[in-house]
Amino acid sequence: MTSGRARPLFPIGVAVVAFAFLGLFMLYPLWNVFRASILDSAGETFTLANYAKVLSTAFYRAGIFNSLLIGILTTLATIAIGVPLAFCVARMPVPGKPLLLALAALPLVLPSFVGAYAWVLLLGRQGILSQALATVGVPGVSIYGIGGLVLVFTLHTFPYVMLPALAAFKAVDVSIEEAGQNLGASRLRTFQRVTLPVVMPAVLAGGLLVFMETLENFGVPFVLAEDMPILAVQAYKLFVGEAGANPALAGVLGVLLVGCTTVALLLQRFYLARRRFATAARTAPPTLAASRWLRWAAGGYAWGVVLVSLVPFFAIVAVSFMRFKGPVMHLEPSLDNFLNLFSRSQRPLANTIMLATAAAAGAAILGVPIGYVLTRFRSGAAHILDVLAMVPFAVAGTVLGIGLVISFNSGWLVLTGGWLILVLAYLVRKLPFNVRASAAILHQIDPSLEEASINLGVSPLRTFFGLTVPLMAGGIIGGTVLTWVTIASELSSTVVLYSGPWTTLTVVMFQALEGTSAGAASAAATVLILVTIVPLAFVYRLLKRHDVALV
Amino acid sequence: MTAIRIDDVARAYGPVVAVAGVSLDIVAGELFTLLGPSGCGKTTLLRMVAGFSKLDRGRILFGDRRIDTVPPHRRNAGMVFQNYAIFPNMTVGGNVAYGLKARHVPGAEMKARIARALELVRLGGFGERWPHQLSGGQLQRVALARCLVVEPDVLLLDEPLSNLDAQLRVEMRAEIRALQQKLRITTIYVTHDQEEALAISDRVAVMRGGRVQQLGTPANIYRRPASAFVAAFLGTTNLLSGPVVARTSAGAVVLADGQRFTVTADGIAEGARVSFSLRPEAIHLSASGEALPPGWAALEARVARIEFLGAITRIEFSYADGALLRVAVLGLPPGLAEGATARLVYDPAQTTVFPAP
Amino acid sequence: MTFARWGQALGWLFGLALMHAGDAAAQGTEVVVYTGNESTLNDLAFAAFQKDTGIKVQPVAAGSGVLVKRVQTEKDRPQGDVIWGVSRSLLETNRAHFAPYRSKNHDAIPAEHRDPEMLWIGNNLHLMVILQNTKLLPEGQGPKTWADLLDPKWKGKIAFTDPANSGSAYSTATLLVQIFGGGEGGWAKATEFFRNAKILNKSSLVFQGVGQGEYPIGVSLEYAGYLWAANGAPVKVIYPADGTIAQMEGCAVIKGGPNPDGAKAFVDFINRKDVREMIFAKTFRRPARPDLDLAKLSAGVPPLAGIKMATYDEKGWTERRAESMQRIQDIIAKTR
Repeated sequence: MTSGRARPLFPIGVAVVAFAFLGLFMLYPLWNVFRASILDSAGETFTLANYAKVLSTAFYRAGIFNSLLIGILTTLATIAIGVPLAFCVARMPVPGKPLLLALAALPLVLPSFVGAYAWVLLLGRQGILSQALATVGVPGVSIYGIGGLVLVFTLHTFPYVMLPALAAFKAVDVSIEEAGQNLGASRLRTFQRVTLPVVMPAVLAGGLLVFMETLENFGVPFVLAEDMPILAVQAYKLFVGEAGANPALAGVLGVLLVGCTTVALLLQRFYLARRRFATAARTAPPTLAASRWLRWAAGGYAWGVVLVSLVPFFAIVAVSFMRFKGPVMHLEPSLDNFLNLFSRSQRPLANTIMLATAAAAGAAILGVPIGYVLTRFRSGAAHILDVLAMVPFAVAGTVLGIGLVISFNSGWLVLTGGWLILVLAYLVRKLPFNVRASAAILHQIDPSLEEASINLGVSPLRTFFGLTVPLMAGGIIGGTVLTWVTIASELSSTVVLYSGPWTTLTVVMFQALEGTSAGAASAAATVLILVTIVPLAFVYRLLKRHDVALV
Repeated sequence: MTAIRIDDVARAYGPVVAVAGVSLDIVAGELFTLLGPSGCGKTTLLRMVAGFSKLDRGRILFGDRRIDTVPPHRRNAGMVFQNYAIFPNMTVGGNVAYGLKARHVPGAEMKARIARALELVRLGGFGERWPHQLSGGQLQRVALARCLVVEPDVLLLDEPLSNLDAQLRVEMRAEIRALQQKLRITTIYVTHDQEEALAISDRVAVMRGGRVQQLGTPANIYRRPASAFVAAFLGTTNLLSGPVVARTSAGAVVLADGQRFTVTADGIAEGARVSFSLRPEAIHLSASGEALPPGWAALEARVARIEFLGAITRIEFSYADGALLRVAVLGLPPGLAEGATARLVYDPAQTTVFPAP
Repeated sequence: MTFARWGQALGWLFGLALMHAGDAAAQGTEVVVYTGNESTLNDLAFAAFQKDTGIKVQPVAAGSGVLVKRVQTEKDRPQGDVIWGVSRSLLETNRAHFAPYRSKNHDAIPAEHRDPEMLWIGNNLHLMVILQNTKLLPEGQGPKTWADLLDPKWKGKIAFTDPANSGSAYSTATLLVQIFGGGEGGWAKATEFFRNAKILNKSSLVFQGVGQGEYPIGVSLEYAGYLWAANGAPVKVIYPADGTIAQMEGCAVIKGGPNPDGAKAFVDFINRKDVREMIFAKTFRRPARPDLDLAKLSAGVPPLAGIKMATYDEKGWTERRAESMQRIQDIIAKTR
């Protein structure tokens, strides 16, 4: 390189900050946890014996197989459900879109362990729905097993696919579609050949999130898998099992989880690298003209999917208004659960709101520039950062939590016992989501817009803040709200990191559900649902007015 | 007015060579076109001038100022993008004001300059409109106004007309040429459309495989292509090849596809293989027995296809062992039908000979 | 809306969050209790403790595995004052993290339920029992003994906790080996038990499952059965005729915790006779101290003397823990 060549300072700066942050608050803690897996029992000599042991044990191999199977099936199912849903909302005359959109993000709100409890109430062996089905001649329906897990995960995570796909459908340049049709292609063919490829990056990004979430989540299989081996459950038990804790083997499973996710991520990158589709849509595409029949079908489908996904919500809300005697639910209406909840400290609710707000804002401030650098500067360092920024999604919250405690309980930086460590854990865990969301939006923004700005004399840094960020605003806000919502329902790292004053609403729910007060748990869940609906509805109204693509 | 000097610049993406050592001197105030098929390196070269592509080696100067080491936002080179790159979140006025704001132009002056720039591209009064309310041609003009309002040292146009329909393309290129003449701004224009290049350029550089194949005025490169590639790329031509079988006073006789053609050629030995280009419009129809101008050559051929285009007619003739020869004539020659035989005549001086590939 | 305004809004939110955070950081006269108990008991005990002593409890409630992990990782700068509601074996294995304290109720607790070096002290005893859902399975048709559970007709109907995730389940599993005759024969019969059982991931799933009717039979903790039954669920507690064991749960003062006096006050309080009476009456935790009149406090819960206890080699099974656990895991994997 010739001396004095202009170097892009902005991406380098972002990369340095990102590497420093992830290195300190993710890699270092994870190393502290995982190094047990490559050391012998004395903790001194390097060995791969633990890996050999796990891979030679049928029980663990079955766990890996089941987890991958469930992950893949769920990913396919969410795409199969989410993409048509996004299309209906983006392009079809579906009634009540703002409400539908606000509701469609709700499945992310309900902590998965509460959702699992609701599904057992509904579709357990003695569940309300199972029994109703049995009386109409369909006996033996139950939520346990692979089918049930895929169903619950699909209904819980489809917003991850649906929301980015929606934004992409809205950003499709209609002229490309029209060009496709002018060339004699049928509508369906145009959709397949022209629209779908443009939407693919967003769908893949969402599908990746689904896959990772499914792989990492242990709250749902903990209950619904019964005794089927599941990787995340095995890892959890090996880390903090009351009787069988084995940090070395736990580390191996943790590394395997990270490995599976990394492979999925690289496959997605490989696919995207060979296809680049930026469009410069000037206007949101119009709603398609549809026959009455099609209109009904689209509306019915969209509302049907969203309402079914909300079934556990209705169940939890209904349960919260039932009378509980100790752990036993009685079918009488009552406000006792709420009176009980409100008679306690309101601090957990305030904590949830504050911590989620701080972490979501932090994730946006850090995630958007990283997403930008990853999309626009495809250097070797960017590829490493890309993978690195996705790893948190593959790391079980418990594992990251333990790592943070080990790393920051003493020494030069002490964080345990305060609120900041919770915010950092959330920030690290949700960063991939913001990075992905930002990258997906940026795939929709033609880089020549930024080049035009730079060409007109505005530095890259100021171009990013003055032009790119406003262009991304809708997506950034949408993504941040979703981050907020998922943080508000986070449990697995919270339970390891929280200290008394920083109890969150999910911890309250967990304790109550874990023990003998499902009534209080469902009342707390109802409060959480209400608290999260408000910002969601607000944001969707706001975005609608400004007609910015969501997420 | 700023001259642009491109001095032995090169750029490779991994094993793919995009620009392989190009040197050009672009005269102040001229409209200079980089012409070539996609992948020839013309856009990369333009982006190097704008600062969006790195140089592996070489230098670029605006006047005496070396700019390849200057970050792109300090080069003061105005660029118009293929897709216009109009900021969708700003009005037309906001788009045009964008560069002025970066230069901290005071409010009143800014207003006046925006109005002037919009007038210049015939969009006066459009300042409050939003981009999605404009047509493609209007967007193109906004892009030009946004670019020109900051008074750039040079103007860089990257396939600016490729997204417009045919008629608008013709109008816009005339407009761009007129604007450029009026402002006398040094301009680099990138296109793959040879007609566009010939129509508006002061000089054209034809590029292929990262190298400049030929540099010259439009007329010069059209009439005297330096290579078979340039001949074929610039307009329609008949590209023939074969061995030299005889030498005459008019030139050399080449046997191509079973037919003897006379070409002008100095110093080509008998037996050598050559290629030559014979433009369709250089071939004329002639009644049999009609006297030929001195030195002209003739051949008999059968009409294979007639394409009437109004002002001109394109005719494909088949000759000898079935090879096709394209001919363009003004108007529609009477009594010519497919299958009929005709006598074709041409001046060997109008042929261009290249060494055989 | 411009970016500047969005940025400002974000900045404000962040700032607000930080202010709120800093505001609530330092608070003094509190005791941090790491509790493995469930919320009903937590709420009851902590409210009574605050009323009695004026000390506010900041609970950190989680599974005992998570709690112990926290204590271990925080050892250089402990965040908790007292750990409560964890099993004897976890108390034993984490002695290094506890500070010795002679409780005011030291003498009321039998010597077998407290540490000779006073690093921990027992609070209550969990008897391992069979729970039966009488709606799914009429009262007379339930199992009477552990051996009854080997009948193939129970296949898939018995809920049990994964011993890897529960100390009491480990003890129960090894107790079964012993009751079934020990040695290879005992293990073979225990394998039959596992073949019949659904191995759930945590103990609360077992008693919840029986209470809600997901499983007709569960191997679980005594208190849970009474708690569900007393509140109207069709749950019956069966003490196996071939004998059972009592699993002790206790508490300990965490070494180097921020409020050692508070910790000691809590340890004293939680073993007081009146407190144990209250806890037993409301949540059926069988006290470690033998001087309560259980029959007077709750009809139906038999005194320890009336229950057949099995001989169980706790020391031996604790010593052979690693290999026994491995064997159990192999059996579970094999019988799935």
